[in-house]
Amino acid sequence: MSIIEVKDLSFTYGVGTPFEKNAVNSLNLSINEGEVIGLIGHTGSGKSTFVQMLNGLIKPDSGQVLLNGSDIWAKPKEIRKIRFKVGMVFQYPEYQLFDQTVYADISFGPRNKGLSEEEIDKIVRKSAKFVGLSDKLLKQSPFDLSGGEKRRAAIAGVIAMDPDVLVLDEPTAGLDPLGRDLLLSQIMQYHRDRKNTIIVVSHSMEDVARIADRVMVMNKGKLEMFDTPKKVFSQAEKLESMGLRVPQITKIMLSLKEKGFEFSDGILTVEQAFSEIVSLLKKEGKV
Amino acid sequence: MSYISASGVKFSYDEEGQNVLNSVNLKVNKGEFVALLGHNGCGKSTMAKTLNALLIPKEGVVYVDGMDTSDEEVTYEIRRNVGLVLQNPDNQLVASIIEEDVAFGPENLGIEPEEIRRRVDNALKAVDMYEYRTHAPHKLSGGQKQRVAIAGIIAMEPSCIVFDEPTAMLDPNGREEVMRTIKTLKEKGITVVLITHYMDEAVLADRVVVMDKGEILTQGTPEEVFSQVHLMKKYSLDVPQATELAYKLIGVGLRFSKMPLNTDECISLLEEVLS
Amino acid sequence: MIRDITLGQFIPGNGIVHRTDPRVKIILLVALIVLIFCTFNFAALALITAAILGIIVLSGIPVKMYFKSLKVIIFIIIITSLLNMFYGTGEPIWQLGVLKLTLSGIYRAVFVSVRIILLILISSCLTFTTSPTDLTDAIERLMKPLKVFHIKVHEIAMMMTIALRFVPTLLEETDKIMSAQKSRGADMESGGLIKKVKSMTPVLIPLFVSAFRRAFELAMAMECRCYQGGEGRTRMKTLHVHRLDIICIIFTVLLLAGVVLCDIFIAPII
Repeated sequence: MSIIEVKDLSFTYGVGTPFEKNAVNSLNLSINEGEVIGLIGHTGSGKSTFVQMLNGLIKPDSGQVLLNGSDIWAKPKEIRKIRFKVGMVFQYPEYQLFDQTVYADISFGPRNKGLSEEEIDKIVRKSAKFVGLSDKLLKQSPFDLSGGEKRRAAIAGVIAMDPDVLVLDEPTAGLDPLGRDLLLSQIMQYHRDRKNTIIVVSHSMEDVARIADRVMVMNKGKLEMFDTPKKVFSQAEKLESMGLRVPQITKIMLSLKEKGFEFSDGILTVEQAFSEIVSLLKKEGKV
Repeated sequence: MSYISASGVKFSYDEEGQNVLNSVNLKVNKGEFVALLGHNGCGKSTMAKTLNALLIPKEGVVYVDGMDTSDEEVTYEIRRNVGLVLQNPDNQLVASIIEEDVAFGPENLGIEPEEIRRRVDNALKAVDMYEYRTHAPHKLSGGQKQRVAIAGIIAMEPSCIVFDEPTAMLDPNGREEVMRTIKTLKEKGITVVLITHYMDEAVLADRVVVMDKGEILTQGTPEEVFSQVHLMKKYSLDVPQATELAYKLIGVGLRFSKMPLNTDECISLLEEVLS
Repeated sequence: MIRDITLGQFIPGNGIVHRTDPRVKIILLVALIVLIFCTFNFAALALITAAILGIIVLSGIPVKMYFKSLKVIIFIIIITSLLNMFYGTGEPIWQLGVLKLTLSGIYRAVFVSVRIILLILISSCLTFTTSPTDLTDAIERLMKPLKVFHIKVHEIAMMMTIALRFVPTLLEETDKIMSAQKSRGADMESGGLIKKVKSMTPVLIPLFVSAFRRAFELAMAMECRCYQGGEGRTRMKTLHVHRLDIICIIFTVLLLAGVVLCDIFIAPII
């Protein structure tokens, strides 16, 4: 069943000024419940504008966003309720931390939602656990945490609203490989547990290739591709013409395939490439 | 003699606190491109700041072109010679007009107006931002802002530029723009120290120095360093995918004439081995 | 949105007004402001209005931009003119209860609103045609004599430069933090004043934290670029007085003389 349906969605910035810019241009798509979607596109492709329309931060000029079949703007006064259902983690979310303790900060969302103290306590601890923050850290000031911990505390603050759809904009930006791997595995663990829909906006195709069921590619405000990672990444040339970079390993295997070696399309990880090469070598009796 | 020579450098941010740098010895030759690699908190950024006298070692010494960084008499001479480009491009730009921002450094050095004009124009051309000279910085993309920040350093005509994770906050296009700029600077004979955790950037260097917990773990040419896939993985560092694939294939008995570091090398090496 | 403010926005160009020395422009602005408030009859008002409109035409900035900056103060104009209209002295020409509309009141209203409009127009003209850095630069140079009184002129100018540089950055950041907190269900629209102020805490604290972090990093970047205060510092752009600037000064003197003559020879009406 589709949880989000987008119909003819358009938005233009700064109408009537010299800076007028068509950010999203008649988008149509639907996202199924429980899917992990990777959203890629270079800066200015409209992907940030698009995701901000999903939780009603930006009101579309035309078109609709349907959440569970109903238009999120049906009752404009109740748009705040949509934000509890579609959680949004912005880029560098650690810059939104403000409260005296990590615990208080994570409880900001649930408190706005109007949960009871008991429920708040339960969900705050659960969310902190998902991102691997210890009870000891919860009592500290968010400003005393390390960079990676801050990032995870901020993400916990959004998870704590228990959204049906979780949107993460560049969740791994600025993290080192260690922090990146940890965060991605925590997000995936959360997904397996909560079984909700996740949309990850990312520049890193390696990250997207690792976690996404389907990949959306946006370019100049339009949806260019929406398919499985394998199919999307097998079109390396098309992606590169849109200013995107495919993973190194995908490029290597694609160009070897063009040179006549029998490999499958859209290889995304070193492991896949390794086993493809090994099976080829076995067939030829070289190993 | 090395251009920069750090020996036995120890540093901590507070008196009794743990050492962020623990007896680091680092030499950088004139014209060399050195990449300093390691994950967050390994001390690489602290190391960078000791190279232009922003931080003075608690123990040990850093010499720049024969000048001791702890000698306050030569602090500004050192900073003129060793420029430092920081991570966040937004927080390095002082003025609201690009060319005036680039002029900030030379103005501080008390250079004659006509000479500043010449340097600013040259610096902006070197980073390919000349046509934007009268624009305001906040209208630019991250990569463009970072290039302006680099121009601001170039205008002081330093012999060495230290880049402290200059691409960490940029998108892939911005990263490429900045890396292209760094490569051209190196070709012009400027000594480059690049601090990064992106492996594809480190492979461009003449020498890679890997740091962990305030110490130097290993160093050598990119090929020497990245072929130690096992060591790199042990310290949770990435290696280029091309290198990792070759490493795995060596494990099942394949032989390569050299370790591939980038896409093209890997393709031609695999073609050779497979056919 | 907060980003739509036009007042104080520099629009690059290469017209006469753009090329005039910023110091001359500031002096001219001060002179014109004084003159605006020294007009006591229609002839003087017309003279100064014509002069200012002339400058605006010469500025080459789209008239639309001027209207935009006037829009901000339209309420002030309406309210002050209404107040003035009914507070005049003399014979009422129309009366409703305590409200007395007099001829002198109407005159007063016209003068006050025209003065405010001219004030906004001419100050916008300065900010439209002068880059913020030129402006601070000119202020620094004009204030130089104040050094005698131990006023840190260079430091003040540097502070202004940095403030101008970071206003757009911080506005953008405020927008971002507000969106992030709204996404966590923060309610910033409803409720009374106290509730609204309180609901801004989650925005203001991160904003302050970020401003401090930026200040810290900027200070480090400035040190890297050998900043050591105003001592021994040179400037890339040196200001020279050109013929254009002399023409401007003569124009101002003539205008001054014109307004003074009008005031002397024509009876004041307010």
